[in-house]
Amino acid sequence: MKRPALLPVLAVLLVVAVVPMFGYLKLGTRVGTRTATLKWDDLPIRYFVTDRPAPQVTQQQFQAAITRAFSTWEAVQSAETSSQFVGFTQANPQSGDGMTVLGFTNRPDLDRVLGATNFIIDTTTADIVESDIFFNTAFQWSVDPAGVPGRHDLESIALHEIGHLHGLGHSAIGETELIAGGRRVLGAESVMFPIAFPPGSVNDRTLRADDIAGITDIYPTTASRRERGSISGKVTKNGQGVLGAHIVAFNPATGALVGGFSLNEDGSFTIGGLEPGPQVLRVEPLDDADIDSFFDASLNVDVNFRVRFHDKVVVVPVGGGARDVEIKVTPK
Amino acid sequence: MPYSRRAVLCFVWCALFAPLDATVLIPAEFREIVNGSDIIASGRVIDTTPEWGDNRKRIDTRVTLQVGTYLKGGPGETVVFKVPGGEIGRFRNVMVGAPVFRTGDEVVVFLTRRTSEEPMVFGLNQGVFRISFDEQTKRRVVVRPAVLARGESPEIVVRGSAARRSVPLETFGAQVQAVLAEGAPRGAR
Repeated sequence: MKRPALLPVLAVLLVVAVVPMFGYLKLGTRVGTRTATLKWDDLPIRYFVTDRPAPQVTQQQFQAAITRAFSTWEAVQSAETSSQFVGFTQANPQSGDGMTVLGFTNRPDLDRVLGATNFIIDTTTADIVESDIFFNTAFQWSVDPAGVPGRHDLESIALHEIGHLHGLGHSAIGETELIAGGRRVLGAESVMFPIAFPPGSVNDRTLRADDIAGITDIYPTTASRRERGSISGKVTKNGQGVLGAHIVAFNPATGALVGGFSLNEDGSFTIGGLEPGPQVLRVEPLDDADIDSFFDASLNVDVNFRVRFHDKVVVVPVGGGARDVEIKVTPK
Repeated sequence: MPYSRRAVLCFVWCALFAPLDATVLIPAEFREIVNGSDIIASGRVIDTTPEWGDNRKRIDTRVTLQVGTYLKGGPGETVVFKVPGGEIGRFRNVMVGAPVFRTGDEVVVFLTRRTSEEPMVFGLNQGVFRISFDEQTKRRVVVRPAVLARGESPEIVVRGSAARRSVPLETFGAQVQAVLAEGAPRGAR
């Protein structure tokens, strides 16, 4: 590294070092012996809305919030997705009816789950045939543009769930704090962070770089295929691969934070949908989160290692990939 | 369409398609998990039985845990709880975020009774702490450390903190007991 570049890089490292991070994750499904990425091959996504209100939210307000959330994803210029509201239905947002339905339903047994996205997938092709999203009326909801204290923002949660519907898994750049008797999300640079902002917040109505990279990775436009790139490599500890490590790419030029996970026993990872240019890489363990929220329980996720920055700046080429990056971590 | 053909198509539908789910959660601090749970037990999974729920609209799995130690509650030598998702025949229902258990898994589970049915895991997945064998120390450790506030003041959770690491099962049990001895914090259920 040339000395003139050192100071800016160190400044970047100091900023990044105090922010816990995740990266985006794509949903996958088994097709025979392989795992395929979930995505809609036939666009637009045609969806219905359950003709049922919740306290403080009418069917029409619900439908309008859902439409805004779809539009937010569709406004990503580097990705190509579309949707179409078909109409209201008496059907519940549940599987097996052949329709993609979004609506309110009461799940008191899932008393900490605000909403959930359900897929029906053709396991022979990995095509998404149907997807449903329910919003739990065990909670209080709001569609007020400024948010309402004590009520969860429907559009924010819808944006997260519709991210799942497009094939994105739980991934985020987020930060939490411990308070007396609970845990609170302080900030998130991804709407796909798996835990919600406190009631009244409307922070998650805006997509961040991590979300944009994720949706671009799944539904790239022709231009973004040419213009965006990726980083791949592996995370190792004592010569062995580290499974479940978070690798976050920080672009000093744009301030974008985009990440991924090492998803194999050999510690290998790939982060796609990146803007070209220099990237600073940081690796951290998933030691404060519910591992089951991210990975299959059969995976032997390693959380016993220290945060580590890669000792070189990695340059993502235009339309290509920076490969064979190895980041060596040490035990705590 | 003749009934038999509809039945065949329905079967093909069920055979070809597998559901997935994903969620947004309300996070809990460790004291909240401890005090909000009706049963806390460590042990080994000895059976998982998927079953239809809600008039065959979804699949849940009943998990039977051979209990080694109860830290709270204690219905018997085994405890049965329910998790969303499962597999019946060629029909698979997966909830991303919902824990998946397999026979032989060693876990500490925090369970709640919100309905008259079997208990469920606290906060969908927040009440699962998996146990593994540490080759270096030759001890059974809880992989996911407890995220525990140290005082009344707000405290940012820093990922990768050297102070947060997998702990021996006995130490984890002592942490749970210490929280129980403190009693429920204000605002906890």
